[in-house]
Amino acid sequence: MFKLILYLLGLAVIVALAIKLMGPRLNNRTKMGLEPYLFILPVLTLLVLLFGYPLLNSFIMAFENYKLTAPNDIYFNGADNFKKLFSDRDIGLVIKNSFIYVITAVSGQFLLGMTLALALRKKFPGRGLYQSIVFLPWAFSAFVIGIMFRWSFNGEYGVVNDLLLKLGAIKEQIAWLGTPGLSLLVVILAMIWMGVPFFAIMYLAALQSIPADIYEAADIDGCGVIRKFFLITIPYIKPTIIMTLLLRTIWIFNSFDLIVVITGGGPASSSQTLPSYMYTRAFASYDFGLASALGILLIAMLGLYSVVFLSATKYNKAGDF
Amino acid sequence: MSPRIKRFFGGLLRVVVLTLFLLAVVLPIYWMAITSFKTNPEIINAQRLTYWPEIFTTENYIALFRLFNYGELLKNSLVVSASTGICVTLLSILGGYGLARYKFRGKDAMLLFFLVTQMIPGILVIIPLYVILSQMGLINTHVGLFIYYLIANLPFCVITMRSFFERIPYSLEEAARVDGCTKYQSLWRIVLPIMFPGIVAVFVFAFIGAWNELIAGTIFISTAEKWTIPVGLKSLIGKYNVQWGVLMAGGVLALLPTAIMFACMQKFVVEGLTAGAVKE
Amino acid sequence: MKKRLLCTLMTALLALFVFSGCAATRPAQQEEATPAKDSSSAEEAAGTETEESAAAAAGEISLRFIDVSPSPARQEYFTSIFQNFEKETGISVAYESVPWDEAANKLTVLGAANQLPDVMTTWAGWLGQFTSANWVLPIDSYIAGTEDQYTEVVTKITWKSEQELYGGIYTVPDGMMVKGVYVRKDWAEEAGLDLDPDAGWTYEEYFDAVRRMTDTAQKRYGISYRGARGAFDPLLVYLEGFNGGKLYADDGSILINSGECLEGFKTWTGIYMDGYAPKDSVNWGFTEMVDNFTGGLTATLINDSEVAPTCQENMEDGSWMVMPMPKSIDGKIYNTVNAPYSYSISTHSQNPDAAWLLIEFLTRPDNNIEYCRMGGLIPIKKDVANDPTYGEDGPYSAFVKQLNDPGLVVPCAFGPFDFTDMHQGMLHEEVQKYLLGQQDAETALNNICDELEARMKQYLEDNSGSAVEQPKSLS
Repeated sequence: MFKLILYLLGLAVIVALAIKLMGPRLNNRTKMGLEPYLFILPVLTLLVLLFGYPLLNSFIMAFENYKLTAPNDIYFNGADNFKKLFSDRDIGLVIKNSFIYVITAVSGQFLLGMTLALALRKKFPGRGLYQSIVFLPWAFSAFVIGIMFRWSFNGEYGVVNDLLLKLGAIKEQIAWLGTPGLSLLVVILAMIWMGVPFFAIMYLAALQSIPADIYEAADIDGCGVIRKFFLITIPYIKPTIIMTLLLRTIWIFNSFDLIVVITGGGPASSSQTLPSYMYTRAFASYDFGLASALGILLIAMLGLYSVVFLSATKYNKAGDF
Repeated sequence: MSPRIKRFFGGLLRVVVLTLFLLAVVLPIYWMAITSFKTNPEIINAQRLTYWPEIFTTENYIALFRLFNYGELLKNSLVVSASTGICVTLLSILGGYGLARYKFRGKDAMLLFFLVTQMIPGILVIIPLYVILSQMGLINTHVGLFIYYLIANLPFCVITMRSFFERIPYSLEEAARVDGCTKYQSLWRIVLPIMFPGIVAVFVFAFIGAWNELIAGTIFISTAEKWTIPVGLKSLIGKYNVQWGVLMAGGVLALLPTAIMFACMQKFVVEGLTAGAVKE
Repeated sequence: MKKRLLCTLMTALLALFVFSGCAATRPAQQEEATPAKDSSSAEEAAGTETEESAAAAAGEISLRFIDVSPSPARQEYFTSIFQNFEKETGISVAYESVPWDEAANKLTVLGAANQLPDVMTTWAGWLGQFTSANWVLPIDSYIAGTEDQYTEVVTKITWKSEQELYGGIYTVPDGMMVKGVYVRKDWAEEAGLDLDPDAGWTYEEYFDAVRRMTDTAQKRYGISYRGARGAFDPLLVYLEGFNGGKLYADDGSILINSGECLEGFKTWTGIYMDGYAPKDSVNWGFTEMVDNFTGGLTATLINDSEVAPTCQENMEDGSWMVMPMPKSIDGKIYNTVNAPYSYSISTHSQNPDAAWLLIEFLTRPDNNIEYCRMGGLIPIKKDVANDPTYGEDGPYSAFVKQLNDPGLVVPCAFGPFDFTDMHQGMLHEEVQKYLLGQQDAETALNNICDELEARMKQYLEDNSGSAVEQPKSLS
């Protein structure tokens, strides 16, 4: 208990020192006194405090043989956990699935979200009510969505097969969750269904802030719809696009609750991604060393992605989100 | 093509797109809702799928309240989510303002740090946090759960809030200062009212983030009276038996508060978030 | 210069806190390695003395109890039982619960944080991990002298097996479960099958029944095939039947990869491959299996007695029946016997004696029978094993008969080593790959067997003096 308080105080001191070091100024002009601390310190301290310790802990555990089933046998084992990770037979498939999952789900949500936002841009009677309904998927818990999709896509009594058969689109029932490739598709569909409102809301808000006269000027110049979109709309909301894509990719990459609920990673690991793999294998076998190694791997991959993504889209030059 | 015809086709396209989206959203929700009014044998009947219940029953909803204590779950969820929403919003206003208005060297590093907090797999955070909270005696309390939801939703909300602040030109505040307001008065009287839609949006995102979360809810709470809704619904999935009807009923009911909030919020976000477009 | 000083100061402080943070968790892990093992020997009298002595010592003890499969019925049952317990002993009990799906994770977190409750309901599959992580207390001394009260199933099978696998007794079963085959009686009659629970059947007859009851035109399949997690469990029992219930030879080499077993493997999986099970079932878990049987899609379902109440709720009386597990080639019925949620005492408990009192109270015959009736289980104490609920006409008769059958043999479990990661992964994934045509049968079976054998041999090496588990029977 005492150790904890010491830890808290120390961390607050570090954070304060760090801020002092950075020498915040208001708009490059005057050096401020205690003011900036008041604003930033609470948030920063909380986050560093409660994320810092787990982060460090995980980093250390990743290089240790840390199994709960052998509590007296904790020792530093170098990169053994990572070697173990990469020598798993299915790791290639799991990584591949992760990429397919993330890229497809994010693109799907992005395109559909953007479409929806554009369609909602102009006022029409009943827009308020419409919006209250069409954004609802985001308000569902992932668990409920997962159950619903798992049940609807069931090969034997699922409503999807029933509808498809009735509409004549297929002749025979499809074993959605029992076919490699298709099972991942169901998860992707669930994720897209859930995530479209997020993009739609963000982009709709961003679109609202584009001044109308720019479009009028473009009209006078004779710009077509397509050109207007790519030369005016996109650059204006570019910061929003970048930030939402980045965040959503990170969230989706790290998510596994939909996978665990809908397919359990199966069949034969065909819908298993890195986080769900961590959840079912490393965590379930009480091998915290392995789980941490996987966690560090995930953070490294996402970190790399973020840095590359931000610099490739010239985030800094585009202004802020 | 004349502009008139172009506009006609544009309008038609819009209607088609809007209809498709509406169907895509409404059909699954309809399916969930209709299932909640069926009896369990009818739901799992593999031979026949009914699109309207043969026996229309409210037994699932009754069971939800009587047997599964839904009223209690609802209360718990509301308490935790509302406090999360409020605190996260307050802190994000502070943090967002600070990040937007002050320039300092570590800004990019800070952004990267916020992003990294989003990259850590949840379990690796939950276990050390459990140890810390138990030392503080906060296990099986809503306070402990609230703390986790706070830090889980803070990074995204701070980033979002910061962007909203940046759309408001500093000249507004300067003008207020010239008129004799102190810094805080200018913030309170001028900036925040314009920001209100953004504040509402952030509140709703944080609220939903806490409302729908499952894993921390099971780990940090031990007794059933303190469960939040997602945990309560999860308990309907037993080892061999799933109470589908009650589960769907619970899912539908859990939707209502958030749906109402969405209905209110969307008005602000969409029609009001033009703060940055204020002309000078 | 000033900046550099500040920097080094910060780094030093940071380093200090990293190490103090790590140190904070490390000793805690080692502390739990010395549980209250010593105190258990001192209280041998507790098992035979009545509650009076306990009440005198109780004072203000309060216990924590965790239920890993809560439901409104169970919660009500336990809350009232705890009230009675408190009246009799003055010890209060807090009822904690976690949904079944999350139970394993919750216990992992609690274990890692040294916060396991006093009494835990444990699933047998977790014991391997719990014992190696030192989270459960051996209760041999508490039980000593009272073995006669328990049915033979408990003493000769459950406890003997625990002693062999883990070197001690760690759990008291809450009720016994044994597997049976649920069958659609009406479809069987239509197909002209004559099924008699008393006479039983062989695996050949079982497979034959499955084939004959499949009728895809009417959307009927013969079996709720288990393809996802746990897929290898019934298959293991079937294959062990070819070796008298054994999984390993005495030196640790595996026995189920023989030619005979490979044929058995192909026959079993052939049921799926030849279309007698829905195509989806390659990824079916418990839920789908049970749902599809009660929902009228499949004709047979291998499962424990716990499913009987579900069938009673959702199906028409007379449309279903329970057959015992099929007999193997040597005429014996190989079947697993276990308790769904056994009671165990955690090593983090501050009051293990009080915890034992609670377990004793819960398993008292009058309390136990009420509990078992509620959950579809078979009682563990001799006094009540002949209750009319379990009589000839009820759905439980097939289960009870198996438990009393001298021809029943409980085959070996996977092993005393930790196999959770296999159970979450390769044990069913290898089979799935074969079912999906991604590899051949021999490879699938060999992959599984090689890994099991490697782990078993490693275990024997690491734990000299230990021996391979033997099959158990009542005779």
